[in-house]
Parts: sequence; structure tokens; C-alpha cells
Amino acid sequence: MLAAEGGRPWTFYAFAAFFALFVLFLYGPMMVIYILSFQGPSGGMTFPLNGVSLHWFDALISQTRVGDIAGSFQRSIGLAVAAAIVTVVLSVVAALGFRRRFRGSAFAFYLAIASLIMPGLFVGLGIALTFRLLGLGTDWYTSGLGAQLTWTLPFGLLIMFAVLGRFNRSYEEAATDLGATSWQRLREVTLPMLLPGIIGVALFGFTLSYDEIARTALTAGSANTLPLEIWAMTTTVTSPALYAIGAVTTVVSFIVIGVALISIAVIQRRRTRGTGEPI
Amino acid sequence: MARKSSETTNKLNRRLLLKGAAAGSAVVATQAIGGFPTVWAQNTKDVTLIHAGGSYAAIKEIGEQATKDLGFKIVMQAITDDVQLNRSLTQPNSIDINNIDSTKLPYLMGKGVLAPIPVAKYKLWSETVPLFTKGSYPNGKMASTQGLAPIEAMFYAGKDGKKLADKPTEFLTMIPTIYNADTLGIRPDLVGGRDKVTSWKDLLDPKYKGKTALVDYAPVGVMDVAMALESRGDFKYVDKGNMTKEEIDKTIKIMIDMKKGGHFRSFWSTFDQSVNLMASGEVVVQSMWSPAVTAVRSRGIDCYYVPLKEGYRGWFVGLAPMAHLSGVKLDCAYEYMNWFNSGWQGGFIAKQGYYSAVPATAKKFLTQDEWDYWYDGKPAAVDIKDPYGALMEKKGATRDGGAIWDRMGNIACWNTVMDEDRYLTRRWNEFVSS
Amino acid sequence: MAILDQTADESAATPGAGAEHIAVDAGGERASWFQITPLVVVLALFFGLPMLVVLAVSFFDFDRTDIVPAFILDNYVDLFRSEVTLRLYTSSIKFALIVWLVTLVLGFNIAYFLVFHVRTVLWQIALFLLCTVPFLTSNIIRMISWIPFLGRNGIFNQALMGSGVVDQPLEFLLFSDFAVIVAYVHLFTLFMVVPIFNSMARIDKSLLEAAHDAGASRFRAVAEIVLPLSKSGIALGSIFVVTLVMGDSFVVRTMSGGQSASVVSALQNEVAALQYPPAAASAVIMVIIVTLMVAGILRLVDVRKELAR
Repeated sequence: MLAAEGGRPWTFYAFAAFFALFVLFLYGPMMVIYILSFQGPSGGMTFPLNGVSLHWFDALISQTRVGDIAGSFQRSIGLAVAAAIVTVVLSVVAALGFRRRFRGSAFAFYLAIASLIMPGLFVGLGIALTFRLLGLGTDWYTSGLGAQLTWTLPFGLLIMFAVLGRFNRSYEEAATDLGATSWQRLREVTLPMLLPGIIGVALFGFTLSYDEIARTALTAGSANTLPLEIWAMTTTVTSPALYAIGAVTTVVSFIVIGVALISIAVIQRRRTRGTGEPI
Repeated sequence: MARKSSETTNKLNRRLLLKGAAAGSAVVATQAIGGFPTVWAQNTKDVTLIHAGGSYAAIKEIGEQATKDLGFKIVMQAITDDVQLNRSLTQPNSIDINNIDSTKLPYLMGKGVLAPIPVAKYKLWSETVPLFTKGSYPNGKMASTQGLAPIEAMFYAGKDGKKLADKPTEFLTMIPTIYNADTLGIRPDLVGGRDKVTSWKDLLDPKYKGKTALVDYAPVGVMDVAMALESRGDFKYVDKGNMTKEEIDKTIKIMIDMKKGGHFRSFWSTFDQSVNLMASGEVVVQSMWSPAVTAVRSRGIDCYYVPLKEGYRGWFVGLAPMAHLSGVKLDCAYEYMNWFNSGWQGGFIAKQGYYSAVPATAKKFLTQDEWDYWYDGKPAAVDIKDPYGALMEKKGATRDGGAIWDRMGNIACWNTVMDEDRYLTRRWNEFVSS
Repeated sequence: MAILDQTADESAATPGAGAEHIAVDAGGERASWFQITPLVVVLALFFGLPMLVVLAVSFFDFDRTDIVPAFILDNYVDLFRSEVTLRLYTSSIKFALIVWLVTLVLGFNIAYFLVFHVRTVLWQIALFLLCTVPFLTSNIIRMISWIPFLGRNGIFNQALMGSGVVDQPLEFLLFSDFAVIVAYVHLFTLFMVVPIFNSMARIDKSLLEAAHDAGASRFRAVAEIVLPLSKSGIALGSIFVVTLVMGDSFVVRTMSGGQSASVVSALQNEVAALQYPPAAASAVIMVIIVTLMVAGILRLVDVRKELAR
């Protein structure tokens, strides 16, 4: 378990190997995608490679047949960012509220759970019908966002439950004792301490929204998000083009993750300066 | 090369178009696209139409060309069938031009969602193949009416668009655009030759156990099996495209037995899956679409689209304007639909293996060699490439099944919506869960 | 005041936890209501309303192509009478249980590794994010890539045959229940790791040191200290995984080649044939059943109690 100084117990290596296998398992299909996307025009999806070229990447950019990737990608990113922000704000605040007992907490909780369970197809249908009854049109940034929130908010809330569960309240107490107002306490003590968890929720919200299909399909209106575009394309386009898309979007995700990682590192560095022990 | 010459043709036509427009006349008589734009440009330049449909038709390039030629904006949105159906009903205002599959028509008509089209508005009516205008082949023979045949799906009984007629009337349900004849595709290299599969019953041959696939869509999947069973002599159906409960029961029972025996390797739900199943050798006999065969071939793998003894399974799609359109927008919609069949689009999709409802206009946008190969079933005079540049067919080969009327003239059954649709869905779910 | 609550709490070993006197005044309840309002409003609007619409539709009548507003119970009756329903739920629940077990074992071990064996927080987070990146590639594309991986002529089979382990390709790897489970585990393990990670991270390491000093074996320390203290994380992860599997139709359909059943994919077939009422009834029943499953999990581990003491 925890070796005192320096040396690690044998279990460390066992676990590390286990973890490595898992990462391999996760990335296995991904590697297939990356490698196969570099094929020539006659490329398929079996090895060995059918020629090596950037043909499919070129096809993505010149956009002749592979759909509106750029446009739908932009929309997906925009939607994902919006969903992440709204999810963070709403879930964090709500989770803080759940720290007390109050009447109706069970109702609110199960509302979130049910929202998680309901098949996305019906959430989408329901919203489309509701909007129609109200005479409103569906658009990716209104009904589409709303539909995705029904998916990300419950996740965000539950994760905040896990995060807040480990929250040490003595710091908040100390702040109050020192004369901080509720607002000050929130801003200067609670939120900063929850920040890594909050970033986790943001990341979850972003990913869930980015990959969402069922709910978005009927509520996105006349413009597709990326998963919708890809899904529609599978009716005429074959794998190598899709693989190229997969490779490109992964690179973009790496960049996003990298930024998130750096920001967390900076926060941690700032916080541990002087104490040597992360809070 | 094949593709370049059609590009040159396009450029020529466009130049003439622009020249004519510069001369200040609103109606430009060009030799290629007859008379576009005909609606006064001033009114239409702010109009945007959303054309939503399957990605085989709602292609960005087509939309861009239309925008260029017509002066108002066409925005394409590629969506899948089920989304299209549901959105048409729950959010009809989000679509302007509906790329409609004949089999979706019974679901959408009479609900105030689609607008009937007066025949007079469709300028190319007389040049459209008689399959759609009269229900017959060019040689006069009437087409099969098993399933939902064109003659049964093209016309509304009345202006209100609530019922279908089975004879030509004044009101069209849609402007027919694309159609084709589907059959089984095989891997000749893995089954031992092109002549090994000649009849629908070969789909159920135990030789191919664990190496077959069908489409994961009840009305079509069941029909394919029905074709096979009838060809095998198990029993005869009254109308394979409109089965009775007993016929459905009999068919599903056999399907469940075959499934338990491991006869089917997979059921595919996307085009891409069907291509991969074939190309990777997971299956050797499969119900698939024409462009899927093209895609497999362009990977250097031999795939043959078999002209089976009993005939093909036919399908057709068209464009329908949504009921909420009116005024200038509606005029633009008619304009666009007429443009769609005026050749550019027809030439574009011909290279995927689809036929245009007005072949004469599509011909103008294909080279003679391409026309000979794709429509006339003549041996290819040059190497045939797929729309994206990969070699698909070597010089000298002929299109599987031959010329357009060798194939379209031999339709055994059309894609359909059955009267017992509700029952069929239930039993299909049973089949999947068995 | 609330300092007395501290001793009764299972995490009493953690200093300072359990203090409840923050804002425990009459305005406390109101403050909570105020805090949960935005979330509840959004959910009520975009989930509650549609849910009511779906509920209403589930009582409608329908024929081949029309949906007729009515109030009939036929849809529900048919659902309960049909043998297919039972088979669908059996199939879905079977998948849910197996996937839950596998992701639990995997998730627990991975979280344990990250919390107790990885030294710096930065490394924890880096490894964590390493696991997240595959999720940012579209699900659709990831599903497609399984064929060249597990197919008859795929890499895995080729490797097996090449190294002589088998001499015929393993057919069951793809288009089978096995493939479905592999895909589920691939997609959902992370959802188990995150909550467990968060729960484990709050365990005071000095507890484990104390146990070690007292002579407990590592295994015993894990079983008697780590496991109970991670209960809420495990519960939350379980809720995620079970909900995701029960609500899935895409993975099942793609990886089984359309030959395995799940509740939602059957539902989808009905919606594709415009048969909204029975599909809506099916959806309502499904939500009720899975909510009960979740409530069952929560009965075993009351997550909310840990939060609001």
C-alpha cells in the first residue's frame, strides 16, 4: 500500500500493469482508427493498409462529399462548451443546496434520476412536440441545448455528490468564525477547494454533450451537430473517411484535455506553494 | 478522363448562363439547364430553402450548384430516415423540401404536412420515365404492383392529399428523382464464382451459414426473406409487399429458426456497415445497395451485384414541398425541384449507380462512355472511377445486370409499408429477441 | 449543537467532517430551495414537460399510420401480456448485471491504483485524462472500429492464429453477446471510476497506516476500511452504469449485428414505424422499472444521507 519512503510494494507494479492493460484496451480500437485513416483512396478497413496517403484528410478539408464537417464541428463545440458551463453552474449550486435537509429534496433528486433514465429518443420527441404545441421552432442552441442538459445535469449533480461527500467543512467553519459572509465564504473557500471536482464536472458535461445523438437528433432543428452529421453520413460514406474524422477530432480533444490539465496543474501549484501537501 | 469532361461541360453551361443573365433577361435559354432561373431574381435572392433527406441525395455539392444556378439559397441537411420521419411530423417547419421515400408516404400524407404538387408545376413531366407517369415500362408492359409500386404512390386522389390513387391524377405526391433496383451482392472470390448464386433462394442456402446478412429494417428484411422462400418453393405469397398476418407468421417462424441455427452473421443498419461486412469477408451473400457494391469494388475487392432469376426489389424517392410553404418560397420550391431533375444532379448521382427520373437530362451531364456504362449496360470503353477517384471498374467490364431497363424492367417487388405494419413490427421485435 | 453529530458518523475518523452548523437556520431550507431552483426549472421544462407529453401519448390509440388521441389502457395491457416484453427485459437486465460486475471490479481497482499508488496529484489527473480522451472520439466511429479489431479477419483473430493459439478464427468475438459486453465495458468503465475515485480520495491515508501498523494484511485493510468508505462512490458508479446500459440501443444493435435485444432498441423499431403509443407506454414502464432499480441501490447505500447529515 503506502510505502514509507522511496520503494514501492509489489502491488504497485501489479496495479500499474493492470492499469496499462486497461489503457491498451481503451486505445486499441482508437489505434485501429488512426492507422487506417492514413490509407489511400482504395483504403478499406482491413489490414494490411491499402496505400498510404493523406487522401482522406484532404477529402475532409475539400469537403466535396464528406458532409458539412466544419460547420457541424463548430456547432458541436459551441454546444458542448455551453452545456459544460451551464451544467457546472447549475449542478454545483444545486449540490450545495442538497447539503441541507429540506422538504422536496427527494422529489428534486428523483427528477434528476428519471431524467437520466428516460431514453433520449423520447426526450427529443417530447421536446419537439412540446415546442410545436407552443409554436416554437427547434434550434440547436435552444431546444438542442435544453435536450442535452437533461442528460448532463443529472450526471453533474451526482458527481458533485461524490465530490462534496469528501468535502471537509472545517475550512468553511473557520471562515465563518473569522467573520466571512456567506458569499465571501463561497467565493474564497468553498469554490476554490471544489475546483478540481468542478473541472471534472465540466469535462463530463463537455464530453457527454459532444457525443450526444439520441436527444439532439429531433431537437437540433435544421442544422446538424457533428455526431448527427457523422451518423447521417454512414448512409453513404465508408470507414476511411469516418476514420479520418475520428483521428482529427481526437487530436482536437487532446488539445482540449491538455489545456484542462495545464490549468489544473497551475491551480494545484499555486495552492500547494509553501505547504508541500496538496489539500 | 471521364470526370474532367463533365466538369468542362458544367463550366460551359455556367458561362452561357452567366452570359445570358448579363444580357439582362430574366429567362435565359441555355442549351443545358432549360431556362433557369425563371422566377424574377429580385424576389428570390433572400429566400433560403432547407432540403432535408438521406445523405445520398442531400449532398452539399448539389446544394451549392443549385444555389449558383438558381439565385436563392439551398441548404442541405443530411439526416437519417427515422429522424426525417419523426421530424416531419413533430417539427414540420424545420424542413422546406422533404426528400421523401415512397415507403414513408403513407405515414405522412393526410396530416397537413406535405403539399400536393399540381402536375402542371412539374415541367419535365413528359420526359419523366413512364414508370412514374403511367406505371409502365418503355416497352408498354405494366410494372409489378407487388409492394408499393410507383403508380400506387405517385398520385393523390384529390387536392386535399388525404388518399392515394392508383391511376394518374392531377396531383402528385412527389416529384420522382432517384430510383434503383436492389438485389443480393456476393463475393465471387469467396463463393467460388459469379454463377454460384443465381436465385433468391441461395440466400438461405446452408452452404452460406453464418456468412449472410440482411438489412436491419423490418419491412425490407422480411421481404428479402419472402423472395427467398417463394423462390425456394416453400409457399407462394399473395403480395410479398403486403403480407397477411399468417404470411408474416410463417416467414418470421422460419427466420427465427434460421437465426437460432446461426445462419445470419449480422443485420446491418448503416451503409457503412454493409460495405464493411462484405469487404472484410464477414459475409459472402448479402442484401445491399448499389453504391455499397461500388464502394467494395473500389477497395480492390471483387463484389458482384447479382441479377437474380426472380427479379429485383425496387425503390424510388422524390421531393415533396412541405405544406407550410407559400408565396415566393413555394415558387422557389417548385423551381428547385424542377432544377433537381434537369440534369446536373442526375449526372452526379449516376456515378453511384442511381438512375434519374429524367434520364435524358442526366445524359447531358455524363460523358458518352459513362452513359454507356451506367445506363446502357455497354462494356466500359475506359476505366470507370467511382465519384471520388478510386478505380471501380476496369475497361471492358459491364455493369452488373446490364442496362437500365434490363434491371428496372425486372422488378419483382417494390419497397413498401404493409397494412399489417403494426403486427409486423411486433413480430420483428420478437425475432430479434429470440 | 451539531458537533455532537460528528461521533455518530462513519467517517468520524476524518477530522472536522460532519459539522452541520453551517447555515442551519430557518432560512436554511429556503436557501436550499433557492439553490436547487435553476436545476429543477431546467429539468422540469426540458424533461418534465416532455415526460408528461409522452405519458399522454402512451394512452392514445393508433392504427397503421395514424395516432388517435384517446384514453385507452390497451398499450399497457399489451405490454404486460406480451412475452416479448419479458424477454427484452431479461436480456437488458442480464447485460446490465454482467457489465455492472465487470466495470465494478475494473473501476475499483483502477481507482484504487490512482488514489493510493500514484503519488502526485498531477500524475493522478494526467492518467485520468488519458482515460478520457477516447471519449472525445465519436461513439459511432469507435463502434465501427471494432470490426477490423474483432472480426473474423480482424487483428485479434489474426494475432491468435498467427501465434498458434487457435487455428480457426473465433466467431463469437463479434456480432454476439460477448461483443456487446466488451463494448459496454469499453464505454462505461470510466463512469464507475470517477465516483469511486472521488470517494476513495477522501479516505484519510493515516487510517490505512494505522491498520498496517496494527498488523492487518493489505487485503484486510482494503476489505475493511477502503471498501466500506467507498460505498457511496460505488453506489453512484453503479447507478450510472445500470442506467446507461438499460437505456442503450445503439451499442446492442451495432455489436450484436441486430440480433440481440434490448428494451430501447425494440422501442426504437416501433418509433421508426411511427407507432408512438406503444413505444411511449414502453418508455414509461422502462423509466419506472429502472428508477426502482436505482432506488434499490440507494436503499443499500444512502448517498444523500452522506451529504446532508
